Amino acid sequence: MAEEKIGDTDVQIPVNPTIPSGDQSVWADVSPLLQLACKDLHDGELIHGENFNLFAAMSALEIMDPKMDSGIVSTYYSVDEAIEKGAAPVPLSFDRTIDIQCTIDIMDHLLACEATWHKGHSLAQTVFSCVYLLRPDRTSSHALLHSYCMVVRATCNALVSAVSDVRTNEEEDLFTLTYGLPLKGDGDEKCLSVLHAIDETISRQLRACKAPSTKRRVLEDIEPLQTNPDLEEGFCKAVLCRLRFRKHFYHVLMCMRRPQGKGFELARKHITSCLSELDSMLKLEEFLRSNNTCGTVRDATEEATTASGCRPIGFDSSLNSRLSAPTPPRAIKLLYWKEAVEYFKKLLNDLQVICSYTLDPVLEVVLRFVVGFQKLHPDLVARAYLQLLLVQDGKLYGRDPVFAVIGKASLLPDVIKNHDLQKNEAVVQLGQLVTNLLRILCTNAAWQRRKLGKILQEWRIIHVQLEMAFKKEFGDTLSTSNDENVAVKICNQILIWVEEQTYWIATRFLTLGFELELYSPSDYCMVYWYIYVILIKLAEKTHVKMMRSNDNGRRKGKKKRDSKDAKDYQIPPAVVLFQCQIYLAEGLVMMLAALRNEYNVFQSLGPFNTEHERFLQHFELLQKACLPDHISYFSFKETTNHARLSTLSMYNCFKDAQRIAKELRITYSNDPEKLNELRRIEQVAEHNVVALNLVCRLGTLDPSLKIYFEFSHHPYFASAVVKRS
Amino acid sequence: METEKNKKDDEAEGLGLPRIEAKRYLQGSGVEYVSYGGEHHLPLIMNLVDQELSEPYSIFTYRYFVYLWPQLSFLAFHEGKCVGTVVCKMGEHQNTLRGYIAMLVVLKPYRGRGIATELVTRAIRVMMESGCEEVTLEAEVTNKGALALYGRLGFIRAKRLFRYYLNGVDAFRLKLLFPVQRHTNISR
Ligand SMILES: CC(C)(COP(=O)(O)OP(=O)(O)OC[C@H]1O[C@@H](n2cnc3c(N)ncnc32)[C@H](O)[C@@H]1OP(=O)(O)O)[C@@H](O)C(=O)NCCC(=O)NCCS
Repeated sequence: MAEEKIGDTDVQIPVNPTIPSGDQSVWADVSPLLQLACKDLHDGELIHGENFNLFAAMSALEIMDPKMDSGIVSTYYSVDEAIEKGAAPVPLSFDRTIDIQCTIDIMDHLLACEATWHKGHSLAQTVFSCVYLLRPDRTSSHALLHSYCMVVRATCNALVSAVSDVRTNEEEDLFTLTYGLPLKGDGDEKCLSVLHAIDETISRQLRACKAPSTKRRVLEDIEPLQTNPDLEEGFCKAVLCRLRFRKHFYHVLMCMRRPQGKGFELARKHITSCLSELDSMLKLEEFLRSNNTCGTVRDATEEATTASGCRPIGFDSSLNSRLSAPTPPRAIKLLYWKEAVEYFKKLLNDLQVICSYTLDPVLEVVLRFVVGFQKLHPDLVARAYLQLLLVQDGKLYGRDPVFAVIGKASLLPDVIKNHDLQKNEAVVQLGQLVTNLLRILCTNAAWQRRKLGKILQEWRIIHVQLEMAFKKEFGDTLSTSNDENVAVKICNQILIWVEEQTYWIATRFLTLGFELELYSPSDYCMVYWYIYVILIKLAEKTHVKMMRSNDNGRRKGKKKRDSKDAKDYQIPPAVVLFQCQIYLAEGLVMMLAALRNEYNVFQSLGPFNTEHERFLQHFELLQKACLPDHISYFSFKETTNHARLSTLSMYNCFKDAQRIAKELRITYSNDPEKLNELRRIEQVAEHNVVALNLVCRLGTLDPSLKIYFEFSHHPYFASAVVKRS
Repeated sequence: METEKNKKDDEAEGLGLPRIEAKRYLQGSGVEYVSYGGEHHLPLIMNLVDQELSEPYSIFTYRYFVYLWPQLSFLAFHEGKCVGTVVCKMGEHQNTLRGYIAMLVVLKPYRGRGIATELVTRAIRVMMESGCEEVTLEAEVTNKGALALYGRLGFIRAKRLFRYYLNGVDAFRLKLLFPVQRHTNISR
């Protein structure tokens, strides 16, 4: 018995034996205590204990306030009560036609729930709002429903484990919270063979109803799916495509979990099948809608969670509301059935992209692939599977040791694969940074940017640590560049690559800000300036890395054509492409600066601070990591203070960008991705040349002229638009 | 796509005359601003916030703010009626003092007249005078009005928070950094 004192009265609080007690606690009924307290306390007052302050009081829930009290919004007290009151009958109806119709509705609604779950709501409030799923054994007499529930549970289970394995971020971990829901039913692992058996039965039923009447006699012993012969074919088909979708989808997930992408070929086949089953589902929508149980043919099935447009039996979204405490669950809006089908199509297409990837051992290609993949805005599940592919057992694709990946990225010959250097502590750490980077690049853009900002510092530090470690090992030979020592060369090459990679991360960090809409037009000038500065460094490091590796290669080739090489030396295309982007960024900086200087537009004049503070805030993480060295707000002001439109028209960076992009097109004629980037750069440059001309010619003459920037051609290089208002 | 369209309206800059700050304060039109003055103000604040914001707050949430930082909450009255309020706090954050704007509401018929700007400005001024280095808050990415308002006051969008709100919408973390006395630092 617990004892509590209120005023002068001792209150006996009966321990409640119906709720099992925990390690250190027992549950007690506090009603008598509260009743007494009510006499003393007025509305809104609180008992102020030593370990209970005003901050803690904020977590108070107001009992009987429907916005907060998760208890009162429930229709049923428990799952058992829901079942007792007939919320989830088995069978759904003794009329077998209605039974099938209702079963299909449940399947559809579950699909909507599943998609809603993937999109960020809890499993408890979506998929497991289904009473049938919560009590696996109850459906055993209903083979069809039973098998469907089994595969749904197994699928959820597979997805939860995949997403848990990638240890994603706290922003998306709602996905994996299962609150002790029955995610694993007995025998769920056999779901595929059970599905297969049912598929066979219904296929036979379908054949039977389609067979010409002469043949029917032979098939007579086959009992139809339901009782209305006119609808038999339609219902058989509707059920079959749903079952087959589930089967193939489960296969996809299983195949994709096989190590080193070994199941991808098979997964692709199942993805294609899934997509075609989804199409069949859409095709049969009309049939289901015109033969539904609820009678009302809605105009807009777009707004239903089932193809038939009927409300499904057996769901109650408040059933698990007590499970998802302490946050009071809000009513959530489920995706409509059509949206759910679209969601799964999108998911499958994203997975198809992953399964078609070539598992290239070159880091640069991997990074480009991930960044390109993220442009498709994949949802959590697809991103999780990408990460599972990229990083397995600390190796790239579970196949290539990270040191080999680093060696390749540093343009070192394959022979170094087994070099002792990989045992060096700093090198091991570098390897961890690389796998960590790959993981981060698979997360959602918002989280990704924040993480990238944080790891910049780590990449900076590892560079210093590597430098020290190498020095310790090889002494001062490190700085004598024409030493033939292989180990020294390896070190230098790795060091320069680390810098290059760091600037690559910085670029991604800055450009993601556009996608996330973090910059306002008054920030554009400084943002492009920073991008410009970082790109120059990136180009420089890439260039040095490539030159040195050529040097090494050439020396091995025994100084064949030394003098000729020097004359014919060409800047590598990768560096020229950077040059092109640098011109574009510079053009934008100068254009924005000139507009600011001459027209007083795109300024930020708050009452509390200046542009300097905005600069410090936007680039805090880069500045902290000295990326690059000796760069400050004052360098930015120096570059931009004197920008004038008149000088811009004479020296126009956009034209340079255009010219280089055109030239590069030949070099990259076999690389569609690069060609795409070049085309976008050209478009941005072209638009900005035109806009700049317009402003120069008419700006002062026509005060109604307005200018704004949009991202219609490139994700982060803005195109200026000039219009009369 | 929708954002592109909005951008044109919100962010286009006229090249004609330098833009003159057109502050449409209700000058002399009888809006009175007062700092939180005690328990009698509490129902007024709660009422406003309940009407305009979706988040359910218990009375204890309001108490936490107005009891601990009464100087950071303000109310706007028009002809005796409370038409707007701002509720804030401040505290240590990673070794710096930081202000935080928790709630800001102006009744619909009274919007667009600079009332919110004045309320927030007053709160921020107190934070600055109390030694805060920065002010932060979160706003839904779709809340154009609030984003424009804070943008004008010098807040930047420091971070995007994925599905921050229970309705699944992302948020921006907005931040306003006060200038430090750089000169004194340099001379030392
Ligand atoms: C946001 C809110 C407090 C603004 O109140 P307000 O008194 O109308 O704001 P102000 O009049 O001070 O507006 C100042 C500036 O903000 C911007 N602004 C305010 N509302 C805007 C809107 N609906 N659309 C675009 N800009 C808007 C404008 O730039 C305006 O300057 P201008 O009038 O000179 O053009 C009010 O709309 C509100 O209560 N909204 C619901 C609650 C809410 O969203 N609170 C913020 C939570 S973070």
